[in-house]
Amino acid sequence: MSADAYALPLPRPGPDDAAFWAGCRRHELLIQRCDGCTALRWWNAPMCGRCNALEATPVRASGRGTIFSYTTTHRAFSPAWQGKVPYTVVVVELEEGPRMTSMLVEAPAALRIGQHVEVVFEDVTGEVTLPKFRVI
Amino acid sequence: MSLKDTAIIAHAELKVMERSDRDVWQLGAEVLEQLLDRSGLEKREIDGLAMATSSTGAGNMFWPQATADMLGLELDYCDEVMMGGCSPVACVARAAAAINAGLCTTVLILYADTGVAEPNAHDRSYRREWTEPYGLMGPPGGFGLLTRSYEQRYGLDYALLGKLAVTQRNHALLNDMACEKLRKPITVADYLGSRMIAEPIRLLDCVMRADGAAGLILTSRKRAKEKGIARYVVPTGYAERVNYRAGEAFADPLESGHVVAGPRALKQAGIAIGDIASFHPYDDFLIAMVLQMEALGFCRPGEGMAYVRDTNFAYDGDLPLNTGGGQISAGQAACSSENLVEAVEQLMGEAGARQVRDTRNALVTGIGWINYGRNWGASAALVLEPGA
Repeated sequence: MSADAYALPLPRPGPDDAAFWAGCRRHELLIQRCDGCTALRWWNAPMCGRCNALEATPVRASGRGTIFSYTTTHRAFSPAWQGKVPYTVVVVELEEGPRMTSMLVEAPAALRIGQHVEVVFEDVTGEVTLPKFRVI
Repeated sequence: MSLKDTAIIAHAELKVMERSDRDVWQLGAEVLEQLLDRSGLEKREIDGLAMATSSTGAGNMFWPQATADMLGLELDYCDEVMMGGCSPVACVARAAAAINAGLCTTVLILYADTGVAEPNAHDRSYRREWTEPYGLMGPPGGFGLLTRSYEQRYGLDYALLGKLAVTQRNHALLNDMACEKLRKPITVADYLGSRMIAEPIRLLDCVMRADGAAGLILTSRKRAKEKGIARYVVPTGYAERVNYRAGEAFADPLESGHVVAGPRALKQAGIAIGDIASFHPYDDFLIAMVLQMEALGFCRPGEGMAYVRDTNFAYDGDLPLNTGGGQISAGQAACSSENLVEAVEQLMGEAGARQVRDTRNALVTGIGWINYGRNWGASAALVLEPGA
Protein backbone atom coordinates (compact mmCIF):
# COMPACT_ATOMS: atom_id res chain seq x y z
CA MET A 1 0.00 0.00 0.00
CA SER A 2 1.46 3.37 -0.92
CA ALA A 3 1.74 6.17 1.59
CA ASP A 4 -0.84 8.18 -0.33
CA ALA A 5 -3.43 5.42 -0.19
CA TYR A 6 -3.32 4.85 3.55
CA ALA A 7 -6.04 7.04 5.08
CA LEU A 8 -6.41 5.50 8.56
CA PRO A 9 -5.02 7.14 11.71
CA LEU A 10 -1.27 6.84 12.14
CA PRO A 11 0.85 7.23 15.26
CA ARG A 12 3.11 10.26 15.55
CA PRO A 13 6.14 8.91 17.36
CA GLY A 14 7.45 11.11 20.16
CA PRO A 15 10.45 10.87 22.48
CA ASP A 16 9.02 8.03 24.56
CA ASP A 17 8.04 5.75 21.71
CA ALA A 18 10.39 6.50 18.82
CA ALA A 19 12.39 3.35 19.61
CA PHE A 20 9.21 1.26 19.67
CA TRP A 21 8.09 2.38 16.21
CA ALA A 22 11.62 2.04 14.82
CA GLY A 23 11.54 -1.54 16.13
CA CYS A 24 8.26 -2.19 14.36
CA ARG A 25 9.84 -1.07 11.08
CA ARG A 26 12.44 -3.80 11.64
CA HIS A 27 9.57 -6.18 12.54
CA GLU A 28 10.63 -6.34 16.15
CA LEU A 29 8.16 -5.83 19.02
CA LEU A 30 9.92 -3.82 21.72
CA ILE A 31 8.68 -3.16 25.23
CA GLN A 32 10.20 -0.82 27.77
CA ARG A 33 12.20 -2.31 30.63
CA CYS A 34 12.90 0.06 33.48
CA ASP A 35 16.61 0.65 34.02
CA GLY A 36 15.97 1.17 37.72
CA CYS A 37 13.92 -1.87 38.74
CA THR A 38 13.74 -4.00 35.54
CA ALA A 39 9.92 -3.84 35.52
CA LEU A 40 8.40 -4.21 32.07
CA ARG A 41 5.78 -1.67 31.14
CA TRP A 42 3.29 -0.89 28.44
CA TRP A 43 2.65 1.59 26.97
CA ASN A 44 5.82 3.67 26.54
CA ALA A 45 5.95 6.28 29.26
CA PRO A 46 8.56 8.75 30.55
CA MET A 47 8.71 7.41 34.13
CA CYS A 48 8.54 4.04 35.85
CA GLY A 49 5.30 3.72 37.80
CA ARG A 50 7.03 1.51 40.35
CA CYS A 51 10.45 3.05 41.09
CA ASN A 52 10.19 6.47 39.36
CA ALA A 53 13.32 5.96 37.24
CA LEU A 54 13.35 8.05 34.06
CA GLU A 55 15.55 5.71 32.03
CA ALA A 56 14.31 2.61 30.25
CA THR A 57 15.69 0.22 27.66
CA PRO A 58 13.60 -1.30 24.89
CA VAL A 59 13.79 -5.09 24.95
CA ARG A 60 12.48 -7.47 22.34
CA ALA A 61 9.28 -9.36 23.12
CA SER A 62 8.50 -12.76 21.62
CA GLY A 63 5.41 -11.40 19.85
CA ARG A 64 3.29 -14.20 21.27
CA GLY A 65 0.50 -13.86 23.76
CA THR A 66 -3.14 -14.54 24.51
CA ILE A 67 -6.34 -12.57 23.96
CA PHE A 68 -7.18 -10.70 27.16
CA SER A 69 -10.30 -9.07 25.71
CA TYR A 70 -11.73 -8.12 22.35
CA THR A 71 -14.46 -6.04 20.74
CA THR A 72 -15.76 -6.20 17.22
CA THR A 73 -16.35 -2.79 15.73
CA HIS A 74 -19.40 -2.65 13.49
CA ARG A 75 -19.77 1.09 13.14
CA ALA A 76 -17.15 3.21 11.42
CA PHE A 77 -16.21 5.96 13.86
CA SER A 78 -14.81 8.19 11.14
CA PRO A 79 -15.04 8.26 7.35
CA ALA A 80 -11.62 6.62 7.06
CA TRP A 81 -12.94 3.42 8.59
CA GLN A 82 -15.91 3.14 6.22
CA GLY A 83 -15.51 -0.10 4.29
CA LYS A 84 -13.22 -1.54 6.96
CA VAL A 85 -15.95 -2.68 9.38
CA PRO A 86 -16.42 -5.11 10.93
CA TYR A 87 -12.99 -5.55 12.43
CA THR A 88 -11.82 -6.86 15.78
CA VAL A 89 -9.81 -4.86 18.30
CA VAL A 90 -7.94 -6.99 20.82
CA VAL A 91 -6.11 -6.52 24.07
CA VAL A 92 -3.24 -9.00 23.96
CA GLU A 93 -1.53 -10.20 27.09
CA LEU A 94 2.02 -10.70 25.90
CA GLU A 95 4.04 -13.68 27.13
CA GLU A 96 6.23 -11.20 28.97
CA GLY A 97 3.22 -9.84 30.89
CA PRO A 98 2.25 -6.42 29.51
CA ARG A 99 -1.13 -6.01 27.86
CA MET A 100 -1.29 -4.08 24.60
CA THR A 101 -4.18 -2.95 22.45
CA SER A 102 -4.04 -3.87 18.78
CA MET A 103 -6.26 -5.49 16.16
CA LEU A 104 -6.57 -8.85 14.49
CA VAL A 105 -5.56 -9.06 10.84
CA GLU A 106 -8.51 -11.39 10.39
CA ALA A 107 -11.06 -12.57 12.93
CA PRO A 108 -11.96 -16.25 13.02
CA ALA A 109 -15.66 -17.11 13.35
CA ALA A 110 -15.27 -18.34 16.92
CA LEU A 111 -13.18 -15.99 18.97
CA ARG A 112 -12.66 -16.32 22.70
CA ILE A 113 -10.63 -14.83 25.51
CA GLY A 114 -7.48 -16.86 26.15
CA GLN A 115 -6.83 -17.82 22.54
CA HIS A 116 -3.18 -17.74 21.49
CA VAL A 117 -2.07 -15.04 19.10
CA GLU A 118 1.15 -13.86 17.50
CA VAL A 119 2.25 -10.54 16.13
CA VAL A 120 2.02 -9.71 12.43
CA PHE A 121 3.82 -6.61 11.20
CA GLU A 122 1.99 -4.57 8.58
CA ASP A 123 4.05 -2.00 6.70
CA VAL A 124 1.18 0.41 6.18
CA THR A 125 3.24 3.32 4.81
CA GLY A 126 6.87 3.91 3.95
CA GLU A 127 7.45 5.19 7.46
CA VAL A 128 5.04 3.30 9.70
CA THR A 129 4.68 -0.37 10.51
CA LEU A 130 1.79 -1.42 12.75
CA PRO A 131 2.01 -4.51 14.96
CA LYS A 132 -1.22 -6.46 14.58
CA PHE A 133 -2.06 -9.99 15.65
CA ARG A 134 -3.40 -13.26 14.28
CA VAL A 135 -4.86 -16.24 16.06
CA ILE A 136 -2.53 -19.26 16.03
CA MET B 1 -16.13 24.60 58.22
CA SER B 2 -16.75 21.43 56.28
CA LEU B 3 -18.54 20.24 53.17
CA LYS B 4 -21.69 19.85 55.25
CA ASP B 5 -21.70 23.55 56.09
CA THR B 6 -22.61 24.40 52.49
CA ALA B 7 -25.97 24.26 50.76
CA ILE B 8 -27.25 23.99 47.22
CA ILE B 9 -29.98 26.61 47.31
CA ALA B 10 -31.10 26.54 43.68
CA HIS B 11 -30.89 24.36 40.60
CA ALA B 12 -31.83 24.93 36.97
CA GLU B 13 -31.65 23.02 33.72
CA LEU B 14 -32.60 23.59 30.12
CA LYS B 15 -34.25 21.03 27.90
CA VAL B 16 -31.68 18.75 26.30
CA MET B 17 -31.21 19.46 22.59
CA GLU B 18 -29.89 17.21 19.83
CA ARG B 19 -28.02 20.27 18.56
CA SER B 20 -28.23 23.74 19.98
CA ASP B 21 -29.16 26.62 17.70
CA ARG B 22 -28.27 29.01 20.52
CA ASP B 23 -24.79 30.02 21.60
CA VAL B 24 -23.30 28.34 24.65
CA TRP B 25 -23.22 31.69 26.49
CA GLN B 26 -26.88 32.30 25.72
CA LEU B 27 -27.60 28.95 27.38
CA GLY B 28 -25.47 29.97 30.34
CA ALA B 29 -27.35 33.24 30.66
CA GLU B 30 -30.70 31.44 30.63
CA VAL B 31 -29.52 29.14 33.41
CA LEU B 32 -28.24 32.05 35.48
CA GLU B 33 -31.52 33.92 35.06
CA GLN B 34 -33.46 30.88 36.32
CA LEU B 35 -31.10 30.46 39.26
CA LEU B 36 -31.47 34.09 40.30
CA ASP B 37 -35.26 33.80 40.08
CA ARG B 38 -35.34 30.64 42.15
CA SER B 39 -32.85 31.71 44.80
CA GLY B 40 -34.00 35.29 45.13
CA LEU B 41 -30.36 36.38 44.98
CA GLU B 42 -29.11 39.51 43.29
CA LYS B 43 -26.42 38.85 40.72
CA ARG B 44 -23.91 40.88 42.74
CA GLU B 45 -24.32 38.38 45.58
CA ILE B 46 -22.64 35.71 43.44
CA ASP B 47 -18.90 36.02 44.02
CA GLY B 48 -17.72 32.65 42.76
CA LEU B 49 -17.92 30.69 39.51
CA ALA B 50 -17.05 27.02 38.99
CA MET B 51 -17.45 25.51 35.53
CA ALA B 52 -17.15 21.92 34.38
CA THR B 53 -15.19 20.48 31.46
CA SER B 54 -16.84 21.71 28.30
CA SER B 55 -16.22 20.58 24.76
CA THR B 56 -17.10 24.03 23.47
CA GLY B 57 -14.88 25.85 25.96
CA ALA B 58 -12.01 23.40 25.72
CA GLY B 59 -9.91 25.43 23.30
CA ASN B 60 -10.03 28.57 25.41
CA MET B 61 -7.44 28.99 28.15
CA PHE B 62 -9.64 31.66 29.75
CA TRP B 63 -12.98 29.87 29.56
CA PRO B 64 -14.45 30.61 33.01
CA GLN B 65 -13.14 34.19 32.96
CA ALA B 66 -14.55 34.80 29.50
CA THR B 67 -17.86 33.29 30.59
CA ALA B 68 -17.95 35.47 33.70
CA ASP B 69 -17.30 38.48 31.48
CA MET B 70 -20.17 37.53 29.16
CA LEU B 71 -22.53 37.06 32.11
CA GLY B 72 -21.47 40.25 33.87
CA LEU B 73 -20.12 38.54 36.97
CA GLU B 74 -17.48 40.15 39.21
CA LEU B 75 -15.83 37.38 41.20
CA ASP B 76 -13.56 36.50 44.08
CA TYR B 77 -13.21 32.90 42.91
CA CYS B 78 -13.24 31.62 39.31
CA ASP B 79 -12.44 28.05 38.41
CA GLU B 80 -12.75 25.35 35.80
CA VAL B 81 -12.81 21.68 36.75
CA MET B 82 -11.51 19.40 34.01
CA MET B 83 -12.29 15.86 35.08
CA GLY B 84 -14.61 14.81 32.28
CA GLY B 85 -17.73 13.17 33.68
CA CYS B 86 -16.52 13.66 37.27
CA SER B 87 -16.52 17.43 36.82
CA PRO B 88 -20.15 18.08 37.85
CA VAL B 89 -19.80 16.56 41.32
CA ALA B 90 -16.18 17.70 41.58
CA CYS B 91 -17.37 21.30 40.98
CA VAL B 92 -19.64 21.03 44.02
CA ALA B 93 -16.78 19.81 46.20
CA ARG B 94 -14.37 22.49 44.97
CA ALA B 95 -16.91 25.27 45.28
CA ALA B 96 -17.61 24.12 48.85
CA ALA B 97 -13.88 24.06 49.58
CA ALA B 98 -13.54 27.60 48.21
CA ILE B 99 -16.40 28.82 50.40
CA ASN B 100 -15.00 27.04 53.44
CA ALA B 101 -11.56 28.51 52.81
CA GLY B 102 -13.02 31.98 52.78
CA LEU B 103 -12.27 32.67 49.12
CA CYS B 104 -15.87 33.53 48.38
CA THR B 105 -19.38 33.13 49.78
CA THR B 106 -21.75 32.13 46.98
CA VAL B 107 -20.80 30.16 43.88
CA LEU B 108 -22.53 29.79 40.54
CA ILE B 109 -21.77 26.26 39.38
CA LEU B 110 -22.37 26.33 35.66
CA TYR B 111 -22.61 23.35 33.32
CA ALA B 112 -22.95 24.72 29.79
CA ASP B 113 -21.81 22.89 26.68
CA THR B 114 -22.72 22.86 23.01
CA GLY B 115 -20.32 20.09 22.09
CA VAL B 116 -22.48 18.88 19.21
CA ALA B 117 -22.92 22.28 17.59
CA GLU B 118 -19.47 23.59 18.45
CA PRO B 119 -16.89 20.99 19.49
CA ASN B 120 -13.49 22.53 20.18
CA ALA B 121 -11.79 19.82 22.21
CA HIS B 122 -8.87 17.76 21.07
CA ASP B 123 -7.37 14.78 22.77
CA ARG B 124 -3.68 14.63 23.64
CA SER B 125 -3.26 11.26 25.25
CA TYR B 126 -2.34 7.66 24.52
CA ARG B 127 -5.09 7.39 21.94
CA ARG B 128 -3.29 8.74 18.91
CA GLU B 129 -0.32 6.43 19.43
CA TRP B 130 -1.78 3.34 20.99
CA THR B 131 -5.43 2.80 20.12
CA GLU B 132 -6.61 4.87 17.15
CA PRO B 133 -4.31 3.19 14.58
CA TYR B 134 -6.12 -0.04 15.46
CA GLY B 135 -9.60 1.42 15.19
CA LEU B 136 -10.40 1.54 18.89
CA MET B 137 -12.25 4.79 18.75
CA GLY B 138 -13.05 6.07 22.18
CA PRO B 139 -15.63 5.04 24.72
CA PRO B 140 -17.74 2.42 22.87
CA GLY B 141 -14.61 0.42 22.07
CA GLY B 142 -13.25 0.74 25.60
CA PHE B 143 -16.52 -0.38 27.10
CA GLY B 144 -16.77 -3.19 24.54
CA LEU B 145 -13.48 -4.53 25.93
CA LEU B 146 -14.67 -4.09 29.51
CA THR B 147 -17.96 -5.85 28.80
CA ARG B 148 -16.19 -8.84 27.24
CA SER B 149 -13.91 -9.09 30.25
CA TYR B 150 -16.87 -8.98 32.61
CA GLU B 151 -18.79 -11.54 30.59
CA GLN B 152 -15.87 -13.93 30.57
CA ARG B 153 -15.23 -13.66 34.30
CA TYR B 154 -18.73 -13.49 35.75
CA GLY B 155 -21.22 -14.16 32.98
CA LEU B 156 -23.57 -11.53 31.61
CA ASP B 157 -27.29 -11.60 30.94
CA TYR B 158 -27.88 -8.98 28.27
CA ALA B 159 -31.61 -8.98 28.97
CA LEU B 160 -30.79 -7.63 32.43
CA LEU B 161 -28.78 -4.80 30.91
CA GLY B 162 -31.91 -4.26 28.82
CA LYS B 163 -33.90 -3.98 32.04
CA LEU B 164 -31.71 -1.03 33.05
CA ALA B 165 -32.19 0.57 29.62
CA VAL B 166 -35.97 0.23 29.85
CA THR B 167 -36.12 1.56 33.42
CA GLN B 168 -34.18 4.67 32.49
CA ARG B 169 -36.19 5.17 29.33
CA ASN B 170 -39.41 5.01 31.34
CA HIS B 171 -37.97 7.74 33.55
CA ALA B 172 -37.12 9.89 30.53
CA LEU B 173 -40.73 9.59 29.39
CA LEU B 174 -41.67 11.31 32.67
CA ASN B 175 -39.00 14.00 32.30
CA ASP B 176 -39.95 16.94 30.10
CA MET B 177 -36.33 18.12 30.07
CA ALA B 178 -35.02 14.94 28.43
CA CYS B 179 -34.06 15.12 24.77
CA GLU B 180 -37.25 14.74 22.76
CA LYS B 181 -35.63 12.35 20.29
CA LEU B 182 -35.16 9.81 23.06
CA ARG B 183 -38.60 10.10 24.67
CA LYS B 184 -40.05 7.02 23.02
CA PRO B 185 -40.82 3.79 24.88
CA ILE B 186 -38.46 0.86 24.43
CA THR B 187 -38.61 -2.80 25.43
CA VAL B 188 -35.93 -5.30 26.40
CA ALA B 189 -36.38 -6.79 22.92
CA ASP B 190 -35.65 -3.37 21.41
CA TYR B 191 -32.47 -3.22 23.45
CA LEU B 192 -31.36 -6.71 22.44
CA GLY B 193 -32.22 -6.02 18.80
CA SER B 194 -30.48 -2.64 18.57
CA ARG B 195 -27.54 -2.66 16.20
CA MET B 196 -24.06 -3.51 17.33
CA ILE B 197 -21.64 -0.58 17.62
CA ALA B 198 -18.56 -2.13 19.24
CA GLU B 199 -19.79 -5.66 19.94
CA PRO B 200 -20.98 -6.47 22.55
CA ILE B 201 -21.89 -2.77 22.96
CA ARG B 202 -25.20 -2.08 21.25
CA LEU B 203 -26.67 1.25 20.22
CA LEU B 204 -29.00 1.24 23.24
CA ASP B 205 -26.06 0.67 25.60
CA CYS B 206 -24.66 4.06 24.65
CA VAL B 207 -25.25 7.69 25.46
CA MET B 208 -26.08 10.07 22.67
CA ARG B 209 -24.10 13.28 22.95
CA ALA B 210 -26.36 16.30 23.06
CA ASP B 211 -26.30 20.02 23.85
CA GLY B 212 -27.62 21.73 26.95
CA ALA B 213 -26.95 23.64 30.12
CA ALA B 214 -27.71 23.43 33.80
CA GLY B 215 -26.50 25.01 37.00
CA LEU B 216 -26.54 25.17 40.77
CA ILE B 217 -26.04 27.88 43.37
CA LEU B 218 -23.92 26.83 46.34
CA THR B 219 -23.51 28.98 49.43
CA SER B 220 -22.91 28.45 53.13
CA ARG B 221 -25.73 27.00 55.21
CA LYS B 222 -25.34 29.99 57.46
CA ARG B 223 -26.00 32.37 54.60
CA ALA B 224 -28.88 30.23 53.34
CA LYS B 225 -30.52 30.56 56.74
CA GLU B 226 -29.81 34.28 56.90
CA LYS B 227 -31.53 34.64 53.53
CA GLY B 228 -34.54 32.76 54.86
CA ILE B 229 -34.23 30.00 52.27
CA ALA B 230 -36.44 27.18 53.50
CA ARG B 231 -35.42 24.35 51.23
CA TYR B 232 -31.93 23.41 50.17
CA VAL B 233 -29.75 20.38 49.60
CA VAL B 234 -26.55 19.68 51.55
CA PRO B 235 -23.52 17.86 50.15
CA THR B 236 -22.72 15.58 53.09
CA GLY B 237 -20.01 13.36 51.64
CA TYR B 238 -17.64 13.53 48.70
CA ALA B 239 -14.58 11.69 47.49
CA GLU B 240 -12.76 11.15 44.23
CA ARG B 241 -9.96 8.89 43.08
CA VAL B 242 -7.99 9.59 39.93
CA ASN B 243 -5.89 6.88 38.27
CA TYR B 244 -6.75 4.07 40.63
CA ARG B 245 -3.74 1.74 40.90
CA ALA B 246 -1.59 4.18 38.92
CA GLY B 247 1.78 2.78 38.05
CA GLU B 248 0.67 -0.82 38.20
CA ALA B 249 1.23 -2.31 34.78
CA PHE B 250 -1.28 -5.13 35.12
CA ALA B 251 -4.24 -3.66 37.03
CA ASP B 252 -7.60 -5.39 36.85
CA PRO B 253 -9.73 -3.56 34.27
CA LEU B 254 -12.92 -4.45 36.14
CA GLU B 255 -11.82 -2.56 39.26
CA SER B 256 -12.31 1.19 39.47
CA GLY B 257 -11.50 3.96 41.92
CA HIS B 258 -15.11 3.83 43.10
CA VAL B 259 -14.02 1.09 45.53
CA VAL B 260 -12.10 3.86 47.29
CA ALA B 261 -14.20 6.97 46.58
CA GLY B 262 -17.55 5.33 47.42
CA PRO B 263 -16.74 4.22 50.98
CA ARG B 264 -14.92 7.49 51.73
CA ALA B 265 -17.89 9.59 50.63
CA LEU B 266 -20.33 7.42 52.60
CA LYS B 267 -18.15 7.54 55.70
CA GLN B 268 -17.99 11.31 55.54
CA ALA B 269 -21.78 11.41 55.24
CA GLY B 270 -22.08 8.99 58.14
CA ILE B 271 -24.28 6.52 56.30
CA ALA B 272 -23.94 3.04 54.83
CA ILE B 273 -24.53 2.01 51.23
CA GLY B 274 -27.69 0.23 52.34
CA ASP B 275 -29.08 3.58 53.52
CA ILE B 276 -29.00 5.11 50.04
CA ALA B 277 -32.52 6.15 49.06
CA SER B 278 -31.93 6.91 45.38
CA PHE B 279 -28.96 6.23 43.14
CA HIS B 280 -27.84 8.50 40.31
CA PRO B 281 -24.74 6.88 38.80
CA TYR B 282 -22.80 8.23 35.86
CA ASP B 283 -24.14 6.33 32.87
CA ASP B 284 -22.28 6.51 29.61
CA PHE B 285 -22.86 2.79 29.07
CA LEU B 286 -25.19 0.40 30.88
CA ILE B 287 -22.36 -1.87 32.03
CA ALA B 288 -20.76 1.11 33.80
CA MET B 289 -23.72 1.21 36.19
CA VAL B 290 -23.36 -2.50 36.99
CA LEU B 291 -19.64 -2.06 37.70
CA GLN B 292 -20.41 0.88 39.97
CA MET B 293 -23.10 -1.06 41.88
CA GLU B 294 -20.42 -3.64 42.63
CA ALA B 295 -17.64 -1.17 43.42
CA LEU B 296 -19.80 0.97 45.70
CA GLY B 297 -21.03 -2.06 47.60
CA PHE B 298 -24.70 -2.41 46.61
CA CYS B 299 -23.59 -5.95 45.81
CA ARG B 300 -20.31 -7.83 45.65
CA PRO B 301 -18.06 -8.05 42.59
CA GLY B 302 -19.57 -10.49 40.13
CA GLU B 303 -23.02 -10.30 41.68
CA GLY B 304 -24.20 -7.36 39.62
CA MET B 305 -26.46 -9.43 37.39
CA ALA B 306 -28.27 -11.02 40.33
CA TYR B 307 -28.59 -7.61 41.95
CA VAL B 308 -30.09 -6.08 38.80
CA ARG B 309 -32.46 -9.04 38.45
CA ASP B 310 -33.71 -8.75 42.03
CA THR B 311 -34.01 -4.96 42.30
CA ASN B 312 -36.75 -2.68 41.08
CA PHE B 313 -34.99 0.50 39.91
CA ALA B 314 -38.11 2.45 38.99
CA TYR B 315 -38.66 5.85 40.64
CA ASP B 316 -41.25 4.17 42.89
CA GLY B 317 -39.25 0.96 43.30
CA ASP B 318 -36.65 -0.44 45.73
CA LEU B 319 -33.74 1.73 44.62
CA PRO B 320 -34.75 4.55 42.27
CA LEU B 321 -32.07 4.77 39.55
CA ASN B 322 -31.34 7.85 37.43
CA THR B 323 -34.91 9.01 37.77
CA GLY B 324 -34.59 11.66 35.07
CA GLY B 325 -33.70 9.02 32.49
CA GLY B 326 -29.97 9.14 33.02
CA GLN B 327 -27.69 10.35 30.28
CA ILE B 328 -28.49 7.27 28.23
CA SER B 329 -32.16 8.17 27.92
CA ALA B 330 -32.10 11.94 28.45
CA GLY B 331 -29.09 12.66 26.22
CA GLN B 332 -25.55 13.35 27.41
CA ALA B 333 -25.66 17.10 27.83
CA ALA B 334 -24.77 20.01 30.10
CA CYS B 335 -21.29 18.65 30.91
CA SER B 336 -22.85 15.38 32.16
CA SER B 337 -24.54 17.18 35.07
CA GLU B 338 -28.06 15.87 34.49
CA ASN B 339 -27.96 13.05 37.03
CA LEU B 340 -26.68 15.44 39.69
CA VAL B 341 -29.29 18.09 38.95
CA GLU B 342 -31.97 15.39 38.95
CA ALA B 343 -30.88 14.22 42.41
CA VAL B 344 -31.08 17.80 43.71
CA GLU B 345 -34.55 18.16 42.20
CA GLN B 346 -35.67 14.93 43.86
CA LEU B 347 -34.40 16.03 47.28
CA MET B 348 -36.10 19.42 46.81
CA GLY B 349 -39.31 17.43 46.25
CA GLU B 350 -39.84 19.00 42.84
CA ALA B 351 -39.64 15.99 40.52
CA GLY B 352 -43.36 15.88 39.77
CA ALA B 353 -44.61 12.69 38.13
CA ARG B 354 -41.37 10.85 38.87
CA GLN B 355 -40.93 12.07 42.45
CA VAL B 356 -39.32 9.43 44.67
CA ARG B 357 -40.92 8.72 48.05
CA ASP B 358 -37.75 8.50 50.11
CA THR B 359 -35.85 11.78 49.98
CA ARG B 360 -33.54 11.19 52.95
CA ASN B 361 -30.52 11.20 50.66
CA ALA B 362 -29.22 10.54 47.15
CA LEU B 363 -25.92 9.17 45.84
CA VAL B 364 -24.51 10.71 42.65
CA THR B 365 -21.35 9.50 40.92
CA GLY B 366 -18.97 10.57 38.21
CA ILE B 367 -16.71 8.80 35.74
CA GLY B 368 -14.00 10.76 33.98
CA TRP B 369 -12.35 9.50 30.79
CA ILE B 370 -10.99 6.04 30.05
CA ASN B 371 -7.38 5.22 30.53
CA TYR B 372 -5.38 2.69 28.59
CA GLY B 373 -6.23 -0.97 29.02
CA ARG B 374 -7.74 -0.52 32.46
CA ASN B 375 -10.89 0.98 33.85
CA TRP B 376 -12.03 4.60 33.85
CA GLY B 377 -9.49 7.22 34.88
CA ALA B 378 -11.46 9.15 37.49
CA SER B 379 -14.13 7.98 39.92
CA ALA B 380 -16.17 10.29 42.15
CA ALA B 381 -19.06 9.91 44.59
CA LEU B 382 -21.23 12.61 46.16
CA VAL B 383 -23.84 12.08 48.87
CA LEU B 384 -26.62 14.66 49.06
CA GLU B 385 -29.16 15.16 51.82
CA PRO B 386 -32.00 17.63 52.18
CA GLY B 387 -31.27 20.46 54.59
CA ALA B 388 -33.56 22.20 57.00
